[in-house]
Amino acid sequence: MSEVSHIATLSRIQQALKCKSRSDNTMATNSTNFYDLYRHGSLGTTLTDALDDLIGAERIDPQLAMKVLTQFDRIVAESLSEKVKARLTFKGSLDTYRFCDEVWTFLIKNVTFKMDNGSHSVVADKVKIVSCSAKRTDEK
Amino acid sequence: MSNANVGSVYDHIIQEVINAVRVDFEENGVEDGVLDELRKGWQQKLSQLNVAQFPWDPKPEPPPTAANNAQTAAPPVSQQVATSYTQATLSPQTSSQPLSHQGSLHPGANGMGIKPDPGMVKPEPGIKQEPGTGMSQTGVPAYNAANAGRGGIAAQRAAQALESNYGPRAAASISAIQSGMAQQMNPAQLAQRPGQPPQQQQQHQAPQQQQQPNAQQQYRQGVAATMQQRLQSQQGAHTNGPNGLPTAQVDGSSDSFEGVLLRRDANGHPVEMGRVEIDNLIHAQIASRAKQIEGGGLMLPLKEATRHRSIANKSKATAGGPSQVDGPDDLMKDEDLDEDAINSDLDDSEEEKDEEEEDDDSMGHMMLCMYDKVQRVKNKWKCTLKDGVLTVNGREYVFHKATGEYEW
Repeated sequence: MSEVSHIATLSRIQQALKCKSRSDNTMATNSTNFYDLYRHGSLGTTLTDALDDLIGAERIDPQLAMKVLTQFDRIVAESLSEKVKARLTFKGSLDTYRFCDEVWTFLIKNVTFKMDNGSHSVVADKVKIVSCSAKRTDEK
Repeated sequence: MSNANVGSVYDHIIQEVINAVRVDFEENGVEDGVLDELRKGWQQKLSQLNVAQFPWDPKPEPPPTAANNAQTAAPPVSQQVATSYTQATLSPQTSSQPLSHQGSLHPGANGMGIKPDPGMVKPEPGIKQEPGTGMSQTGVPAYNAANAGRGGIAAQRAAQALESNYGPRAAASISAIQSGMAQQMNPAQLAQRPGQPPQQQQQHQAPQQQQQPNAQQQYRQGVAATMQQRLQSQQGAHTNGPNGLPTAQVDGSSDSFEGVLLRRDANGHPVEMGRVEIDNLIHAQIASRAKQIEGGGLMLPLKEATRHRSIANKSKATAGGPSQVDGPDDLMKDEDLDEDAINSDLDDSEEEKDEEEEDDDSMGHMMLCMYDKVQRVKNKWKCTLKDGVLTVNGREYVFHKATGEYEW
């Protein structure tokens, strides 16, 4: 993957992360071949927070933090496809669906999740699914 | 549904990221320690979310169960508080020991003599009753011998617990207990050593109480002085022995002694309390303090939080709260208790609900993944997803492949 310089500061990125309306449309960054989708998960938000703390204390500069996040995007995607073997099935009633910029967003109510490892299921009254195309990463 | 592998996967990701950016850090002239700091900060923040069991966490917790999955996320801090709360405060056996030790190590802070634990007191009376031996051997305050009866120990425990719970505020209540005990104790002392004033006895013990600083001795002398006064004023009530001295009481506390503690009710009238009442009072106080540490239930689901709050309010109203020595309640407290007042939790709940809804969208139940296929036939949807992270009910799961079926 190519190293591309980032002009946006981390705080601007964080704004984008917090902004719900934009977040669905900014899943695919134009700077890397990997989605920054996973920055919205707990692993990503905690990394962003930790980086933000270091920037606030002027230990690192925002550009370096951006590089960390870019590496994070790549490594999460690779680890999830290589390290994880679990399969999951879920059922529920679809409340809202949206397809925009190759990103599917579903809001599903009364969902039941089941892992294939035989343990009992998990029920949630409402789950938001944000999903990017798997093809895009294969094309790179 | 188990999320046991989440910890190892996340750990792997963290290690990879840290290794991958090491070169970038070096190129930017940032020292290695900062990178380490980043890793620690990241791991710490992740642990705080409590979405899974991570390899870098200590492993005191029981393995995640279905009950855990059903819970919403509680931060580790509150969990620690909850466990220490149950261990240290709910079981009386374990709680009484640390309390007494704590008290005896810092008597200057509260100015109260702390009694030795009951295990040491029990064998005492046999020794103590023999003249000539006694106090010089044991290093136990004299009044324990006279008060070895049940009432005395109960009173000591009550005073001890009150002291550790309420600190200086309870001084008046405790001195009430002490003076109650004095009525039983002084006759015994006088019978043993008729010529010796109580204050000298107190000083006689002083060398043995090496752990206890002067402030405590002074306080005890003060207590002894008041005991003496009260004794003189109430001596008529006791039956005197043949030689004019009061009879030593060796069969436990006097029968007329019922209440252990005096407290003032909401109107300022003194009310006598028994052991059970005091225990209830202490328990209520401990429970409310534990709730306070939790942030007043902010971390709980809304339903539970409001339920507990209303219970706490009710018990406050009935029990009258902790013993109050500074007169009746102020108006402010009454307002706090009023659930329907302006700024009550009725108002809070709506605000919290709004915040909760926002949180739900951003961080609550969420699945981030890639899609392979999304198909729809009429209102039936089928999708094949892969490489996802699922956060649901405060737990996190990772999957390689997922299939979903849902109707619109």
